[in-house]
Amino acid sequence: MTGAAKYANDNPAPGLLHAKLAVSTHAHARILSIDVSEAMRIPGVLAVVTGQDYPVLTGSPLSDRPPLALDKVRYVGEPIALVVAELESIAEMAAYRIQAEYEPLPAVFTTEEALRPGAPVLHERMSEYEKDEEVYPEPGKNIANRTKIRKGNMEEGWSQCRHIVEVHIHMPQSDHASMEVRSSTAEIKPDGKVFLRTASQSPYAVRGAVSQAFRLPLHHVFVHTPLVGGGYGGKAAIQLEFLAYMASRSVGGRRVRITNSREKDMMSSPVHIGLDSTVKLGCTADGRLMAADIEHRYNCGAYADRGPIMSRAGAVDCTGPYRIDNMRCDSLCVYTNHPYCTSFRGFAHSELTFAMERAMDSLAKEAGLDPLEFRFRNAIGPGDTTPTQTLLTRSTVGDLPKCIAKLMSLKNWQGSSSPHKDGPVVKAIGYSCFWKNSSTPLNAGGGASLVFYPDGTVNLQCGAVEIGQGTRTSLTQIAAERLRMDVGLIHISTDIDTEKDPYFWKTVASRSTFLVGNAVLRAADDAIEQLKRLGSLVLQGLPEDLDVGYGRVFLKARPDISIPIARLAEGVALPNGRTVGGGAIIGRGSYTMQNLTPLDPETGRGVPGPEWTVGVQAVEVEYHPIDCTYRLLRAATVIDAGKVINPALARAQVTGGMSMGLGLGSRETFYFDSNGVLLSPQFRSYKLIRYGEQPQYDVEFVETPHLEAPYGLRGIGEHGIIGMPAALANGLSRAAGVELNRLPLTPERIWRTVHDPF
Amino acid sequence: MIPFDLEYYVPADVSEAYDWFRKLQEQGKDPVYYSGGTEILTFARLNRVRTGAVIDLKAIPDCRSLQMSGQLLEIGSCVSLSDLCAANPFPLLSLAARGVADQTSRNKITFGGNICGRIIYREAVLPLLLTDSAVVLAGENGMRAVSIHEVFEGRLKLRKGEFLVKTLTDIRFLPLPYYHEKRRKIGHVGYPIVTVAALKKDGKLRMAFSGVCAFPFRSDPMEQVLNDSSIPPHKRIEEAIGRLPGPVLDDIESSAPYRRFLLARTMADAIQSLESR
Repeated sequence: MTGAAKYANDNPAPGLLHAKLAVSTHAHARILSIDVSEAMRIPGVLAVVTGQDYPVLTGSPLSDRPPLALDKVRYVGEPIALVVAELESIAEMAAYRIQAEYEPLPAVFTTEEALRPGAPVLHERMSEYEKDEEVYPEPGKNIANRTKIRKGNMEEGWSQCRHIVEVHIHMPQSDHASMEVRSSTAEIKPDGKVFLRTASQSPYAVRGAVSQAFRLPLHHVFVHTPLVGGGYGGKAAIQLEFLAYMASRSVGGRRVRITNSREKDMMSSPVHIGLDSTVKLGCTADGRLMAADIEHRYNCGAYADRGPIMSRAGAVDCTGPYRIDNMRCDSLCVYTNHPYCTSFRGFAHSELTFAMERAMDSLAKEAGLDPLEFRFRNAIGPGDTTPTQTLLTRSTVGDLPKCIAKLMSLKNWQGSSSPHKDGPVVKAIGYSCFWKNSSTPLNAGGGASLVFYPDGTVNLQCGAVEIGQGTRTSLTQIAAERLRMDVGLIHISTDIDTEKDPYFWKTVASRSTFLVGNAVLRAADDAIEQLKRLGSLVLQGLPEDLDVGYGRVFLKARPDISIPIARLAEGVALPNGRTVGGGAIIGRGSYTMQNLTPLDPETGRGVPGPEWTVGVQAVEVEYHPIDCTYRLLRAATVIDAGKVINPALARAQVTGGMSMGLGLGSRETFYFDSNGVLLSPQFRSYKLIRYGEQPQYDVEFVETPHLEAPYGLRGIGEHGIIGMPAALANGLSRAAGVELNRLPLTPERIWRTVHDPF
Repeated sequence: MIPFDLEYYVPADVSEAYDWFRKLQEQGKDPVYYSGGTEILTFARLNRVRTGAVIDLKAIPDCRSLQMSGQLLEIGSCVSLSDLCAANPFPLLSLAARGVADQTSRNKITFGGNICGRIIYREAVLPLLLTDSAVVLAGENGMRAVSIHEVFEGRLKLRKGEFLVKTLTDIRFLPLPYYHEKRRKIGHVGYPIVTVAALKKDGKLRMAFSGVCAFPFRSDPMEQVLNDSSIPPHKRIEEAIGRLPGPVLDDIESSAPYRRFLLARTMADAIQSLESR
């Protein structure tokens, strides 16, 4: 660690102006007036912008959100005005002087309140919102999307069940809590070209969204993204970029930066979605799952952002990695007067998994079965179908039984899993399986180029953002492997420029090594073809008789007859005066999702993504019945990674996800007062797992190749988080002897459940 | 980012500090004394503290003292909690100090700042209440030493412009048996749901609390019943909780019923721990 990394906010520039937000103090209210006169009188204030200046709607798949509130505010903390000033402190000072007058409206804070007949409606003009991708809003209600899954025959399914449970769970909204807060800078050149520098996971989507919102030609918008200090999905959303553009426009195109304070990052910018869910699940006497009826009500807050796609993901994978032939699911994306949500690591899966896996443990208990054995018996596999009726193969679903078997064979995790008393404490293990496909648009894709230099090195260009996950390192490894050259000779920058780097959809969904990795392989193959063709001219052989590797092009039959790639890159002068190579050798490749189909609106039938990554997780807790406190002792993940191409990075990714998942399970949440004011917008009150509180982590891999992916690898970037809240809740439920179905599991929560289970 | 302008003064001694305060007050700057700064800075950036000037006390030698002086342990108000814990002259106070915030913050948070701050827990005051310590205050008429019980009612009752210079603790209290327990919502860092500090002197229990009510306190009526050996311990605790000096806090750290539960448990633990010592 050198401290040399430069993030979006680390770039002071002469003449840089600063923007700060004034935000709503009401959860739901009509804006009667906004008085900016006092703010404008402060020396150093250059402009104040309000929603009326830019009456545009943004958001994908549903354009429901004005960058600055228009007519109405829908959550406390919603931006209502923007001040641009010479100094950040002056902008902040002026933002406090903006006076808004409101007419309060009744607000809804829970999904239950929002879905009640006659509930106040947040978006009265929902039917006018523009839509892209598959989204099914229900105008007149607070439902931004409903995804329906219908598979098999419910009546027949239930009739075969000997044991049935119904479980209600609650998972609150929380924060991404990236170390780096969001920051965007905009400048508009005299020729109208817009330059944005932003901490983003989706610079190419920023480009499209800004151009669309402000009716700018796409080729006039340039986005630069430096190293990003943690994203977790939160920086896939586009918010400050719009505001930075509006701020710059208001001062004649001068360069303006807007950087969130930690509090604004939590209360004004998009957060982690919440879930209320009801799962009814049944199995036969010998523990085979026969039927499931699931209703998910995702709490997306005041605006939809990616909420509809997350609620769809929650339906698509709603059963978890289990074979259930008769099932139905309705998954709703529900508006409430809370901060709005965007993608979050796991993309609705840690939420659906909490619901499903609590039901699995309840059903195992009801049927008198060992929870892990019960999961093993119902593990999904090749020949089974998913909730969307995709027929699975070994390549697409991996090997969950192997993961479970491997967990049971691990040194620390053998023996009885039943809770047992150890003096005054109870030790117990909770389990959860998980699976996850991606939820990308059907045409998500990306490109890559490999530029060869005369010193024999290669520059890899691609649009995968480095957010700390190490993707760009993995991509150089993929290129090195295919080119058979030293990875140290392949250069990759930390930054992305949309004008130079080939397009990539978004750095989300654990899809970068798959999509960009495939593009890199194709770029490498393209380069190899070119090198062989050039080599054939120098070495006087047919291209098909040549091979490339170790920095050279050589004859397959006589590897000693060869020419260095560096010389071809430089240009080889032949005796006849002609030059071979030189100029630039550029390999190019691209890859787009293949064979995905839209989901049928009535049954959900369709192919949502290329493959599922499966795995099993376990958490051991030491529970103190006397005061309901506990310690996290150990946590394990066995994941089918397809192929591990960088063991250290893979382990770190999975472990990081596990730590986040334990945070969600044990302590992370937003607390609101009765008016919807966020009471925990700081790390003083917003609890995270701190160093020294973590359990011992065990991470192991199973390798079942995904045949479409580079070297068979599967996405693993998000997956460590998915089963952790459920495994923790299952372990603590077993230890405490009560059903713990509401997160987070603070000792007080357990105490209240033990003392008042209803 | 602090959304207002402020001036910064670093007086070299106690009288200069007060003089600055008076002058700045006259200029309408609404000055505040500044020590570690953690609370002022973090509240100022949220616009929850506004001041035109801060007077940093850290250069004043009296405020930095940490020494034995005859029968008294003298602790300056500007000694950081980290330094206080490292020197460890008063083990019970070290425990109380170590429970505050995290290490990085404790490097900045000072003993006096913790006691005089706006954040309601002020846990460093608990050992002072248990040991009948004195506080040295500076103000218009120079310095005065008074018993903490005279000037502490949930917070230090300071006169306008007055500040805490140091505290004085009789060293005969230092070897006495003590107990300290801080219970948080979850994890090792955070505000208390309940902090109990206790001391046994002449066979009698003394107990002080933070986190329970909206202010830290030591209560005579509670100690009377806690020391009444004619009542069984659990009854004593029940009775003592009935004599709390204010309503039990109910906030995002904990509900009131859970606080009451943890309070009773921690008091029982304190009694048990000190009973035989």
